[in-house]
Amino acid sequence: MLNNKRLLFILPLTAFLLLSSFLLSGLFSEPRYEVSTTVDKPLPPFALPDVMEPNKIITQNDLLGEPLLLNVWGTWCVTCAIELPYLTSLRVDGIKIVGLYIEQDLDPDFGAKGLTEIQQDIFTTLSRLGNPYSFNIFDQQRDYSLDLGVTGAPETFLVDAQGIVRVHHVGDLNEMVWKNKFEPIYATLN
Amino acid sequence: MQRLIRIYMKALPTLIASGLLFAISVSIAAQEAVNQDNESDVATEKYEFESNAQRALFLELSQELRCPKCQNQNIADSNAMIAEDMKRKVHQLVQQGSDKNQVINFMKQRYGEFVHYKPPVNQITIWLYLIPAFFILLAAVVIASKKKTTLNKEIDEETLKRAEQALKDNE
Repeated sequence: MLNNKRLLFILPLTAFLLLSSFLLSGLFSEPRYEVSTTVDKPLPPFALPDVMEPNKIITQNDLLGEPLLLNVWGTWCVTCAIELPYLTSLRVDGIKIVGLYIEQDLDPDFGAKGLTEIQQDIFTTLSRLGNPYSFNIFDQQRDYSLDLGVTGAPETFLVDAQGIVRVHHVGDLNEMVWKNKFEPIYATLN
Repeated sequence: MQRLIRIYMKALPTLIASGLLFAISVSIAAQEAVNQDNESDVATEKYEFESNAQRALFLELSQELRCPKCQNQNIADSNAMIAEDMKRKVHQLVQQGSDKNQVINFMKQRYGEFVHYKPPVNQITIWLYLIPAFFILLAAVVIASKKKTTLNKEIDEETLKRAEQALKDNE
């Protein structure tokens, strides 16, 4: 009888405490986007110019043949500047990196830059922080970023030789992220 | 019946207070919704539409689609780059004659279920609706069974008689 009473006291209390701690942790969790819809699917088709040579059109077929990193970036993006030196060291280690370049302002009425100005900015930034890119695809209208499910810069995709996306990483790519998230999968691709 | 009325009388102040609170919160929410509509009107100024129906659809979609980069904001409220891009895409798709479902599916393909504020009812989310209903049922059963036992105690005349007899014997 006494045991039963104690149980009647303890059970609701534990249930209450469990529920409270669950709800409390919810208060501090960040409801951010973490699903990636592109992983294990082929890159969506595109035909976009090279930002440095606008007459050259690049398509998804130009990315086939060897595994590579597709890195979404812009000279205006602060975090991208932080990851550029590390990405450059990856290139030195023999990893192919292709840039998907996006601009912040699209509307010419609100300070959108001309192409020569963009090229100049890219040149200056890469000379200063290192150039990890084989070439840069210019996503002028940011339509292709939308197709890839990009939420902002920087984001990085690991694409295998057949053009299948294997990893989608939101945020900067540093040594820890490379070791934990990219390298194990990259190692199986060669 | 009288007992029920008495219980209700006792609870009356609480009922009135909660009613008032409810009314206040509803009016605040309504005001909020009006404010939001005004903001969205500002957003639509950037875009031109062929018809009012398309404008209405654009407004509806930009309220229902969630900004993937922001904390609990729809794309109408957010000025983040991704929200601007999504609004531009929604406008483009609406202009091309896509209906509501086509636009939502377009966004879901790219940003997952996360992007729509109305989650679908499926094998996992159905529990969100079933569990509360189950608890209400359980509570109803518990309350009903408790009432019965107290009633039984009141009606148990034999016990009463025996108790009275015992009292008499004592005297």
